[in-house]
Amino acid sequence: MTSIDVLIADAGGVVITPSGRLTVVTAPQLRTVVAEQIALGHRLIVVDLSSTEFVDSSGLGALVSCLKSARQAGGDLRIVAPTEQVAMVLKMTNLDRILQPRASVADALRD
Amino acid sequence: MSESAPRVVIVPATLESIDVVQAEFDEWWTTLADDNMKTRFAFETAIVEIAANIVEHTQRVEGQSGRGYSLELAATDAEVTAIFTDNGKPADIDLSTVTMADIDEESGRGLALAIAALDSLDYRRVGGRNVWTLVCKR
Repeated sequence: MTSIDVLIADAGGVVITPSGRLTVVTAPQLRTVVAEQIALGHRLIVVDLSSTEFVDSSGLGALVSCLKSARQAGGDLRIVAPTEQVAMVLKMTNLDRILQPRASVADALRD
Repeated sequence: MSESAPRVVIVPATLESIDVVQAEFDEWWTTLADDNMKTRFAFETAIVEIAANIVEHTQRVEGQSGRGYSLELAATDAEVTAIFTDNGKPADIDLSTVTMADIDEESGRGLALAIAALDSLDYRRVGGRNVWTLVCKR
């Protein structure tokens, strides 16, 4: 993974954009970034996956962990625009049931 | 689609090796001139999961012992094959009992995902080595 960008949205919520590969090598970084944003008081976590080329089971585990953390804090985590490989593994693992992709960041930020 | 000479990668059993394996896979796949992304993503997903499993198992059982593993990638017109070999302790796994973790679990999906992505996954202990054979039809 090259980077995880964080953007505070005008409408409330925070948009987190992991670029490159989200794997066992890099998944801990996503957990850390999301935990920081929840600690800062953000409740709506939007993970924009449009620049995430590849996710493995550790990356999926990190997304599940972050979803739980957000909900435990009274908020939510929504994913946006997964690429082809990411959509494939979400379906194979049935995680598309709890991480239903939104088409755009704007959609995810709307209630 | 085309066949290609097998590519062999030898790496230490570290987390960073997974990036190396994936980069080598990227290069190798390009040589196949196969634009079937479904096959590519399925095969790549399984390769990354098995590499991670080998690294995790080696580090858990043996610590940072300097162990390594090899990956051989090969293609025919009919299928693509990846063979992982390592000289670590036996993996002690029965693939027939692997099931996908429930959706609220944070771990336990790696082998199930590899099995789901592949046409066949085989693990054997051969001559003191762990040998994983991954096959995807093209």
